[in-house]
Amino acid sequence: MTAGRIIRHGSLAVIVAVGVWLLWPAPAERPDDSRAAAGGAAAANVRFVIKFSPGQAYYPDSRPYGLGKPLKGLATVVRNFEARFPDTRVEVLSTPSVREYLVTQLAGGQAPDIINVNVEDVWTDVHKGWYVPLDGFLEAPNPFVREQGDPNLPGARQWWDMFRYQAISRGKAAPDGKVYNITFDMVETGIYYNKNIFHELGLTPPETWEQLLEICRTIQATGRIPLVMHLGAYHDWLMDLAFDQLYYDLLPGIDLLQDPVREGYLQGYLDWDELAFLHAKGFFNRHDPRYVEIWKRMRELKHFTNRDLVSTDTIREFVTQKGAMIWFHSALSYRLSGDRELGFEWGVFYLPRFTKKTSPYASGEPMCVIGGAATQFEVTNRAVSDTDPSLPIAERMKRSERLKRVVALLQFMCLPEQNQRIVCEYPAFVPNIVGVKGLKILEPFERILERRYTTTKWVFTFDLRFSEIQQRMLILYLTDGIDLDGFLDWQERNLAAACANLRRRKAMDTAKLEAAWRAKAPARAKAEGLPPAVAAEGGS
Amino acid sequence: MNYKARSTLTCYAAILPTMALLLTFVYLPVVWAFTRSFYAFEVGGESRFVGLANYSEYLSEDPTTWTSVVNMLLLTLFAVTARLTFPLVVAKLIHSLPRERWRYVYRLVFLVPIVVPGVAGQLIWRGLIYSDSGLVNEFLRWIGQDQWVHGWLSEPGTALICVALVGFPFVGAFEVLIYYAGLSAIPQSVHEAAAIAGCTGLRKFFQIDVPLILSQLKLIVILTIIGSVQGFQGLIILTRGGPGFRTTVPGLWMYYNAFSFQRMGYACAIGVLLFLVILTLTVLNLKYFKSSESIQGAE
Repeated sequence: MTAGRIIRHGSLAVIVAVGVWLLWPAPAERPDDSRAAAGGAAAANVRFVIKFSPGQAYYPDSRPYGLGKPLKGLATVVRNFEARFPDTRVEVLSTPSVREYLVTQLAGGQAPDIINVNVEDVWTDVHKGWYVPLDGFLEAPNPFVREQGDPNLPGARQWWDMFRYQAISRGKAAPDGKVYNITFDMVETGIYYNKNIFHELGLTPPETWEQLLEICRTIQATGRIPLVMHLGAYHDWLMDLAFDQLYYDLLPGIDLLQDPVREGYLQGYLDWDELAFLHAKGFFNRHDPRYVEIWKRMRELKHFTNRDLVSTDTIREFVTQKGAMIWFHSALSYRLSGDRELGFEWGVFYLPRFTKKTSPYASGEPMCVIGGAATQFEVTNRAVSDTDPSLPIAERMKRSERLKRVVALLQFMCLPEQNQRIVCEYPAFVPNIVGVKGLKILEPFERILERRYTTTKWVFTFDLRFSEIQQRMLILYLTDGIDLDGFLDWQERNLAAACANLRRRKAMDTAKLEAAWRAKAPARAKAEGLPPAVAAEGGS
Repeated sequence: MNYKARSTLTCYAAILPTMALLLTFVYLPVVWAFTRSFYAFEVGGESRFVGLANYSEYLSEDPTTWTSVVNMLLLTLFAVTARLTFPLVVAKLIHSLPRERWRYVYRLVFLVPIVVPGVAGQLIWRGLIYSDSGLVNEFLRWIGQDQWVHGWLSEPGTALICVALVGFPFVGAFEVLIYYAGLSAIPQSVHEAAAIAGCTGLRKFFQIDVPLILSQLKLIVILTIIGSVQGFQGLIILTRGGPGFRTTVPGLWMYYNAFSFQRMGYACAIGVLLFLVILTLTVLNLKYFKSSESIQGAE
């Protein structure tokens, strides 16, 4: 055989082999594979390799905002866990936060065992068996607490008891009533203000919405941006706050269902089925004066905020003192306190309440909480990968040994001494574990979190299409690209489609809602400013 | 088995892996997408046959359809115009340089940026040029024209124009090289004949050069149309199709439906419609846009 033929045939063989290798399906992970993956004699006893994607906030060796020393807390806790369970290895991963990545990985059962995403993004997929409901674990004792022998310790009776902010943590239950996440810590928003500018202009933090607007006018007259905001602050935060301010008085007549478990904490929260039912009854359209008020108030505030809601570097505008106030979440405190060249003092106040001057439908109640769960850990279908994938998720949960170990990691991270190592190392979020003391820098946000929980969360109640269209059309409306009528036209169609989609996908107990609607007619009969369709039937 | 048969077999065997990969990753997904366009289908969820309902919804009920189609046509028209003119002018200027060394240098200068990923280019335009504190706004502030400062990509009146202008001055290395190759292929005798006939300058450019590089122009037109109808990566980076739907194109809406809203069947239907649009435009282009060879043949 000539050298030329050897090369030719050899090349062909290599090409065929590589092609076959590329097309060969990857084998499913087995305990033996984990052992092999761990490698070496020391890893021969590794039964479980847990893949853990904690998100950016506590990622080992990261330096948030480029400040301080690299973070070590999470890595330390993981090492402690591995020391406790020598047959387990935890791989901390950084995964893309884009939804497309998650969907494809979950569909293939290849997502990390534990991920950190907003649980509302999870809700839309829970019926596919991609996520593990954690209610059974939360309602049982935390084994790491129980083994300490003190029955009075939080967590000795129920893992649930370890969480400090019960309303917010339990409010994360999905529309199917199950809890798919652990609320690890809390974030709250506030208005950061430049104390030097306020002092110079003789301003003090406002008590009412009118005072806030007046402050904005005064600052605007000096050529500064009064309030720096990003689009999400309108689309998500202000939407829910304004809704709560304007509908709070109506709650006795429209809060139709009381969840036997969550009601005590959530106090009148409107779930998806209530919103969809109320929408069918004539609420949340151009004929509902309260609903129209929400958008009008937003447009009014827009006059005092940055012109470009998308590409403005909002923090930059504030730290360079071009903006006198910025509506942001608590992580900004860490950024500001670490800036040695800031050149001004700053403080935080919360959004002031609407009054009757703001709107005739204002309840006058203080603004409710709009923030809530920050780091939200979900357990994915990979955690039950040691069971038959054709079985329902509930059955797989019963049989899975691997799942117990994955959940054990979360339970371990909730122990106060472990939790403190993680959450208090980077003072961006408020601890949610009883016994973990928050840092002084976050005290203003702890006070805000003591307020009443929001009435509903619009953006997260409906499907992602609803959220996407609302956000797009809202920016168009706020930037004068469309008038209020045009915006409401879009919004009505958008909400109708979202409600129809919910009804198609989930079971809605219309008879129960109808009965509650009739029972609450007297409460509605006293209310002002009902949509004509509701008022015409005397509130019933 | 004789030598010829063995050689043929070897050749087929050599291309077999490529064909297998092509079939697996290109043709099967196309067939799959076509069939799935008749289903209501989510990734990981159940699928249900709905016939032509996805097509019907997109063409008659989806409020984004006509806005996004108009955006796509405008952006495609602009892209075709820009890629037929600016790179051609540059290629002609380089080709006209008297010394080969300088022609080489300029070819190289225009070729080097091709190594920069398109995504990086888009990010530069979004962050450094169009952003609130970007080049354009800072320049306007510097010359005291604050009233002209805009949220270029976020305001409804400017977003689509700004998206179209990304890539200015539109001198892509690929197009320049294609045109340059076409100009180089024109025989010297044609230039000499034109010179003897007194046909020089712009007249020569339009009457001699352009007709003789029609094949290259045709190729660029086809590729630009395909790229513009299919492409949405730049729009995701720059505006995500906003504000509202002012810069949304059907391809982008297909992407959102597939991966964000998880309406995979609906997204497949949009994809099939886009395929038909591209196919139609390509056939029309091939049929009615004469190539330089056909012109020479006719003569």
